[in-house]
Amino acid sequence: MKEKLVLSIFVSVFLAVLMGGQVYAQTVKAYMGTSPENNVKIVNFVKEKTGIQILQTFQSFGEIEAKVKSEAPNFNADIIVGCGSPLAFMAKKNKWSVPYDSPNWKGVAPEFIDSDKNWFNIANFSFVLVGNRDKLKEKGYTMPKSWKELTDPKWKDQIVMPSPLSSGTANMIRYAFLALYGEEQGWNFLAALDKNIHHYTRSGNAPTDLVGRGEFLLGITSDENVKKRIDEGYPLLWSIPEEGIGYDGTFALILSGTKMMDACKKIIDVLGTQAFSDMMAGIGYMTPRPAPNALYGKTTPKYIKLDLGWAAENRPKWNDIWKEKFRTEFK
Amino acid sequence: MAKAESYSVPQSNVWERLKTFINAELINILAAILFLLLAIFLLYPILAVLIKSIRDPQGLTFAYYLKFFTKGYYFQSLQNTLLLGFINTVICLVVGFCLAYLTTRGPLVLRKPLKIISMMPLIAPPYLFAISLIILFGRNGILTKAFALNWSIYGFTGVVVAQTLAFIPLAYLMIENTLMSLNPNLEESAYDLGASEGRIIRTITIPLLTPGILKAGLLVFVMTIAEFGNAAILGGRTPFLAPDTYTMIIGEADFEMGSVLSVILIIPCIIIFFLHNYLLTGKKFTTIGGKPVASEPRKMTPLVKIPFLVIGFTAVFAIFISFGVVLMASFTKILGVKNEIVFSHILNFDSNRAIYNSIQVSLIAALIGAIIGTLLAYVIVRGKFFGRTFIEMVSLSGFALPGTVIGIGYLLAFNTPPFKLTGGIMILALNCVFRFLAVGVEAGISKLHQINIEIEEASSDLGANFMTTFYKIILPIMFPAFIAGFIYTFMTAIVSLSAVVFLVSPGFELAAVKIFDAAVYGEIGLASATTMKLVAIVVLCMMILNYLTKKTGFDITQKKGV
Repeated sequence: MKEKLVLSIFVSVFLAVLMGGQVYAQTVKAYMGTSPENNVKIVNFVKEKTGIQILQTFQSFGEIEAKVKSEAPNFNADIIVGCGSPLAFMAKKNKWSVPYDSPNWKGVAPEFIDSDKNWFNIANFSFVLVGNRDKLKEKGYTMPKSWKELTDPKWKDQIVMPSPLSSGTANMIRYAFLALYGEEQGWNFLAALDKNIHHYTRSGNAPTDLVGRGEFLLGITSDENVKKRIDEGYPLLWSIPEEGIGYDGTFALILSGTKMMDACKKIIDVLGTQAFSDMMAGIGYMTPRPAPNALYGKTTPKYIKLDLGWAAENRPKWNDIWKEKFRTEFK
Repeated sequence: MAKAESYSVPQSNVWERLKTFINAELINILAAILFLLLAIFLLYPILAVLIKSIRDPQGLTFAYYLKFFTKGYYFQSLQNTLLLGFINTVICLVVGFCLAYLTTRGPLVLRKPLKIISMMPLIAPPYLFAISLIILFGRNGILTKAFALNWSIYGFTGVVVAQTLAFIPLAYLMIENTLMSLNPNLEESAYDLGASEGRIIRTITIPLLTPGILKAGLLVFVMTIAEFGNAAILGGRTPFLAPDTYTMIIGEADFEMGSVLSVILIIPCIIIFFLHNYLLTGKKFTTIGGKPVASEPRKMTPLVKIPFLVIGFTAVFAIFISFGVVLMASFTKILGVKNEIVFSHILNFDSNRAIYNSIQVSLIAALIGAIIGTLLAYVIVRGKFFGRTFIEMVSLSGFALPGTVIGIGYLLAFNTPPFKLTGGIMILALNCVFRFLAVGVEAGISKLHQINIEIEEASSDLGANFMTTFYKIILPIMFPAFIAGFIYTFMTAIVSLSAVVFLVSPGFELAAVKIFDAAVYGEIGLASATTMKLVAIVVLCMMILNYLTKKTGFDITQKKGV
């Protein structure tokens, strides 16, 4: 008899687990590509302001792009909060995004909102050079002043950067150098740099952690988490080399076919508020509504002159060249 | 047709006839349904990968294969993968055998602790070892700094070590199982006749263990080349097929090239699968089906004991330390940089939903998998229809199909209507069901071979219909196989990454994927803490299951005794 009781208790718990599931008032599924922890911050912010629960998976910008491309037009998410410019432009062109004229996005500079209200740039981010303070001191090296110095053979196998195939940050790094040096010289620079790269990481923020933990001396990395990691106690140095840095937006857009249109609109509304900009600037982003930046302070860093449309258009071609140069042939 | 019939014949009559029909043909109906399921959820996805790899918008093409074989990078990747597979299989088999021998023939005091530690990796994601290697041997690792080591773990050797540690338990489990059911009489008589222990092992134990060793080898090989967590975290710029496939699909949406890599990945697995089948057919191994006989503890000769102990202890020590450092890392702020004790990693509840999903998916998968597995075993052994061997082959092929490939196959096959399953929880569960089906099926087959069909025939002769016979006789006999399938599917599903990583979607995240992301990202503390939570939950579930099987198992032996 006792066995039957135990068994029935087990079965009922089992069924409860199977049937159960957290029930939220309103849930929206999102692809989000900022960083695992910043994703959570945005989710919590939206939940606090609107009561809407965002269910998200973290992926790199490039991975979200790949996913959306492969799913089109049957998307498994309602909204994207955090993707790169190539996908934002592509989505508009293919009508994967739904335009929405949000009252909260009025008066924002044109680089932060699409003229037809298809995409919303919730924050600009850049890439910086990071180094491990302790390890550099150990070796007697100092932080390079310019990007050119990174091609010095002394850094062999000591630099990590993300892979442009999966990371939006790396895509930005690549087009920034191509814009800075011109396409031909740009590729030569990347090839010279490649000789010193230990490996290309999947995600744009990963070099910050790898260099911070002392696995590698230098990293070219997204600026999103640098401030936070320094505050946490990682022995990190960061700098903007003299040639300047590139930038890309972090785009939000509503995916067509969503059954949660009202909730999606509410999320877009919230993303346009000053409070949201304040939060993002507190992490280290450059925001649509001006706010003091945690990393750069009040000064604006030196930017390389860029044309994001040109960069987005050429991304497939450059990916092919990149694969051919740095991956297809094994060295 | 059916409609017209129901008009012409009285209702009750149709019902009666349907009932007799079902009763007589149930096993064939069952076989048809099961075959349909296998076709949809195992064959179709693999076919989808194959088709994708040879098609472009213009039609049939071999351009992608041409690319694979003409570019040095891919070739290097293939070479590394095969080398990794073979090295790992050999090491895992040797270590697995030593451990299994020690825990069945060795000193009694060592048996239990050795067994427990050797099985530990089963309950953790395989890439736990990548995390622990980074903590210990990374460029800023604990041991690297303490002994000024110069071993670069980012590369081939690092991946080999991590994969070996991860898959030792698979080899151990398979070999130990066979070793347990091996009748010790043969060994003992050889011993009495004066043969040395080394000679007995060489000429009696190992030959009798062939089925177990072959199966272990197949499993380890396939898992090693398919589970890409370790290779993706530690590989650096050393290419391997599985992580490359992953980057291609997830990072670039290059499904064509990803499919080519998948097909290439299947080939060695299939070859080994057939080789394994070929070697086993036609040979009789008296051990199988034999009842486990408790072997009297015999003193091992030092000549055998010492090397076995050295090998066994090295492996067990490495496994133990790996779990230790990961546990440590989950309570340390930044291990190696800021060694403060913190609880922030453990108290980070962002992964709760993912853990919950993992349990849910694994339970659903285990339940469905155990049911389908048991039914398949029954149909294969007792059915008398054409194509039985084929069904058996297909259902056991799960052993040989790399998870990466099945994952991509599901993504390709079930992303568009009519079978639109992506973006939900069922695709995750079904994927696990059909990947891990083989164990339940095999356990069921061997259980059924043990009982004579006469009992069933007697039951039906006495007037019991099929359902009664099934419920009263077959089910109790097959219950242990059902439990074996359930436990295996549950345990493998909850920690496996290689297939589900392609199928997670917002709201349907899994813990294994989350940990992998955190580890790749470099957040070792968070990855470690989540791993530990997952391990704790798996242990808890296993304890409950164990308790339940003991309870219900007792019930069954009583019934059989009557």
